[in-house]
Amino acid sequence: MLAFPLAGTLISAFGYRRLPGRSAGWIGTGAIFLAFLAAIATLISLQGHSPDHRQLVSSLWEYASTAGVDAKVSILVDPLSVFMILIVTGVSTLIHLYSISYMEGDEGFCRYFAYLNFFVLSMLLLVLAGNFFLLIVGWALVGAASYLLISFWYRRTTATRAGIKAFVINVVGDVGLVLGTYFIFKHTHTLDLLKTFHATSNGAFGHGRTGDGDLVAGCILLLVGAFAKSAQIPLHTWLPDAMEGPTPVSSLIHAATMVTAGVYLIARMHPLFQLAPSAQDVGAIVGAATLLIAGTIGLAQTDIKRVIAYSTMSQIGYMIMGVSIGAYAAGLFHLMTHAFFKALLFMAAGSIIGAMGGEQSLQRMGGFRRALPFTYGCFVIGGLALSGIPPFSGFFSKDEILLVAGEQGGWHWALYVVGYVGAFLTALYTFRLIFRAFHGEPVAEARELEAGHLHHAEHPTNPATGELEDTDVGFPGPHHTTAERALPMKVAMSVLAVGAVGAGLVQIPKTDFVIDNFLKPTFTDAAAYETHTRNGLLWLGLALGTVVGLAGIALAYRIWVQRPAIAEAARVRFKPVYELFVNKWYFDELIDALVIKPTAAAGRFASDVFERRVIDETIVGGTTGVVRAGSAAVRAVQSGFVRYYAAMLVLGVAGVGFYFLMQS
Amino acid sequence: MPPLSILLWLPAACGLLGALLPAGAARIPTPATAPGGKVRRPSSPAGIVALLGSLAALGLAIAYIADYKAGGGPQHVTDTMWISSLGIHYKLAVTGLNVILLGMTTLLFAAAILASNVRAGGPPERPRLFYFQLLLAESAVIGAFLAQDLILFVAFFDLMLIPFYFLIGTWGRDPEGSTRVRATTKLVIYTLVGSLLMLAGAVATGVLSAQQGGGHVDFAFSALQHMPLSTGSQEWIFLMFAAAFLVKMPAFPLHGWMPDGYRAMPVEVLMVFSGVLSKVGAYGFLAVVLPLFPRAAVHFQTVMLLVALASIIYGSAQAFTQTDARLIAGYSSVAQLGFITLGIFALNSQGAQGALLQMVNHALVVAPLLFIVALLAERAGGSEDIRRMGGIAFRAPVLASVFLIVALATLAMPGSGNFAGEFLILLGVFKAKQAIAIIAFAGVVMASVYALRLFIRAMHNRVGPGVTPREMTVRDGAVLVPIVAVILFFALYPQLALKRSERSVQGAVAQAQVLTTPRHLSARVTDLDQVFNATSQE
Repeated sequence: MLAFPLAGTLISAFGYRRLPGRSAGWIGTGAIFLAFLAAIATLISLQGHSPDHRQLVSSLWEYASTAGVDAKVSILVDPLSVFMILIVTGVSTLIHLYSISYMEGDEGFCRYFAYLNFFVLSMLLLVLAGNFFLLIVGWALVGAASYLLISFWYRRTTATRAGIKAFVINVVGDVGLVLGTYFIFKHTHTLDLLKTFHATSNGAFGHGRTGDGDLVAGCILLLVGAFAKSAQIPLHTWLPDAMEGPTPVSSLIHAATMVTAGVYLIARMHPLFQLAPSAQDVGAIVGAATLLIAGTIGLAQTDIKRVIAYSTMSQIGYMIMGVSIGAYAAGLFHLMTHAFFKALLFMAAGSIIGAMGGEQSLQRMGGFRRALPFTYGCFVIGGLALSGIPPFSGFFSKDEILLVAGEQGGWHWALYVVGYVGAFLTALYTFRLIFRAFHGEPVAEARELEAGHLHHAEHPTNPATGELEDTDVGFPGPHHTTAERALPMKVAMSVLAVGAVGAGLVQIPKTDFVIDNFLKPTFTDAAAYETHTRNGLLWLGLALGTVVGLAGIALAYRIWVQRPAIAEAARVRFKPVYELFVNKWYFDELIDALVIKPTAAAGRFASDVFERRVIDETIVGGTTGVVRAGSAAVRAVQSGFVRYYAAMLVLGVAGVGFYFLMQS
Repeated sequence: MPPLSILLWLPAACGLLGALLPAGAARIPTPATAPGGKVRRPSSPAGIVALLGSLAALGLAIAYIADYKAGGGPQHVTDTMWISSLGIHYKLAVTGLNVILLGMTTLLFAAAILASNVRAGGPPERPRLFYFQLLLAESAVIGAFLAQDLILFVAFFDLMLIPFYFLIGTWGRDPEGSTRVRATTKLVIYTLVGSLLMLAGAVATGVLSAQQGGGHVDFAFSALQHMPLSTGSQEWIFLMFAAAFLVKMPAFPLHGWMPDGYRAMPVEVLMVFSGVLSKVGAYGFLAVVLPLFPRAAVHFQTVMLLVALASIIYGSAQAFTQTDARLIAGYSSVAQLGFITLGIFALNSQGAQGALLQMVNHALVVAPLLFIVALLAERAGGSEDIRRMGGIAFRAPVLASVFLIVALATLAMPGSGNFAGEFLILLGVFKAKQAIAIIAFAGVVMASVYALRLFIRAMHNRVGPGVTPREMTVRDGAVLVPIVAVILFFALYPQLALKRSERSVQGAVAQAQVLTTPRHLSARVTDLDQVFNATSQE
């Protein structure tokens, strides 16, 4: 299975000059589709095993096994990893397909598909890894792929800046992961995942005890990794900037797959987290905070992709919260439905951006309802699923997470409430997007499209800075595409739309438990896995979810369709709050002031002052000064000495060498 | 297998042969124009002899790697009494500590010699002398790695310096704000002070250990290990050796010669200087200091770890504020060598194994990095300032890809061999001194900043004003591609090196490791005896 994306990467990378036309795209898509088929085959063979034997490990070769460290290249196949590879390869196939049309006019077409296939390879490595070492490798390689794709249009300084930001924050996450691994390795003496879990349950961190200091430290450090990858506060600032990448990339990596790796990580490490309740609490609180804060920022942003990015953060907040309170199946269920509807939303957004000739500002959009009927339909489906309106998929998955939170009672009730407030915000900002982009008076581009012409910007500009684009590397290229005009895009979006509508039906409370049952073998030791649903709470949750979602939509309709003046009035009235949201709660400024500026200042001090004064003048000056101290005679002796010494050594060693060559 | 002396002296012999070739051969006019428009100097027969010699040495080294039996002790031993009255042996052996380093050394020298042959400006002036010096340096480095006698090691260690003294002084260039004479003087004074201290320390070791043993003086490592010095003597001798090795690496705050030295060196020379010579210092710690002065190593463990930590943080902070691409590579080396020192002074097998792997890895990335910097400078109107670069990737996708691989390996991307090394190093340090390991991780994050900054400023963004983007030539590729292939190989299979070095590394750190273990643990078995037996068998 790993072989297919690898082959795709290599073919696209080496054939960048020779591959005719758009064939790289089809090769890339085919490779991922084959991987998807392989994933299905794995699923079938795994289901052939009895539920107790559904954790298969296969070691390929010794990687760095020495001195008690057992780093091997080993693959772990169990229901959780199969669940993940099905989502990853399935969604990836569709997005590759979409990209064939979307990236058609781009100069870097082959490079794009090479990177994209490389990403899928890394992601599969991450979810299939059978030990910590390989997990870290996959973890970092997806970060690298993400970096490459964010900086894909590398002549834009905004894109390269966003790329380095994403990379560095991800490295912070990698460091968390490595250090966390050390803390755990210290007690378990193995890097293998299953052996680690085994050792843990056998009392590597103390028998029947929770909250061992090293374990909690290790788990919190693993969480740092998860937060960095999944864009949770305060390590989230890279994700909105990552929208500099091509839209299908945002759809695949920064919505559907890579950013959910943190959720996967917590679910994978559940035997550890179960014993470290304080780490679980940290995860739950950060998840809840992120879902709320990201929701409020999403309300005030004007870049269509960034709004969806904040929405992604917010939804992953739900998942992180879910898996942190033990709602593993629910969290992963939401991961799956989110992959469908969020990828769909991004694809639809890509279609609008295409119609706008690269423009991404909501303020310039409007009235695309008639010009882009298919896109509109997809966007509404995705929006309803995101807002959690029954019977769309997001409804079931989100409510299931909150249900578990409510059941556990205690302070988890706070999470329950936050979750529903977040749901209200979600509906509000989602339909703000829809109403502003598709309703109202059609803008010039929309009218042009209705008349049958696709708008192309004559002088493409960077949507972030207004700077003129350098079209050498493709962006935005002379051609833009909308879903209405490209069959591959249409097909990909249709499939996802079906998923966004129907994926929720696999797990309806009281009716069927497909996900629960499938994942069970992985979570046999998870205490909270079996849900004991109280009827009252269940119906309350379902009703509340529906009402809150509809209320959000209704308010959005009132503000942005009926009375546009309200928005303006509210903006003036709650100026400080609005400023806070528009400026993204000042996280960028905070990190800048606390981390980046001091480090840069220290570096400058080191090179301008310390290096010159201390190293060069005091130490070097001192040494040379001592040598030169006496007089010119001393100096002559010194240089003479060097030569003498050198000559003696050369002669001596050469003589010795000669002597032995004669001897042997 | 042929005796080790052949591997050792082959480069120098080829250098001598090249130097003895008639000078007239070099003057055959072959008018060829380099892409830059400058006239290429014709390639020199001395250069070709040198290339063949270095390739033969590389082949031999690969044969030794393939032949090395992972479980065994020193192999292919050559042992002859050199100066019997002083107990100095001419003793060479391949051990787990040096076998991979031999491969790395010969690979880098071959690459550097190839680079000097294919550079756009053609081979250097006075090629016969140039190649003689370079090959003499290669022999000296190989000698330092192979030596199993303390005095022999010191002799080769000092011999390394001499060719570089001439190489920089004669073929160097004047860096901004300094001169190559000044740079050379600085370098020589620094390293000479260290070397003389080490020579004194070496003599003292032999004499003192003979006094204690009551017997005759014997400088062979194996003999010295059997007669450990008293703790007090170990400590002051340790400091002398440490001075020499830390200067060579260089480590903060003894890196004062580095900025001028790096900028003054011709790029081929710098490739081996930065890639190989720095490793001799680290190797010295592992192969000489830890086995001979274990008590001192334990005594100074914290100091050394702090020096290493300071090198990491200081080097990284410098690397991301510098704008001279060469100095970015230079300071990043300070940081990377800091990691290596850190691993060695974790005083356990994980750290030392990681350090040894990292020596190879660092050499493999820094040499191509410096060569790429030279290629970039050719495209940026001769300037090595990253502010004058930019936007080359579009016209040079192959160069960009190679650079990207090297940059990612430099920042120890997981999935590269460098990460495997760093992982082991930090794991070792984590076991020894948890707090230091945690702080050292700051260096990991900073590495990602400076490596990517260099890559982006050179390759991405808008095309710089004086920049003429063009692809690298096939000749340049001949230098870079083999090294990158080795980087990729180690990314997939670092076990190759680790498997071979495991036993020797355990032997090297064993005594120090036992001394650092808390007493209640080591007291329960006669660990010391066992360890002693294990090491003396080697």
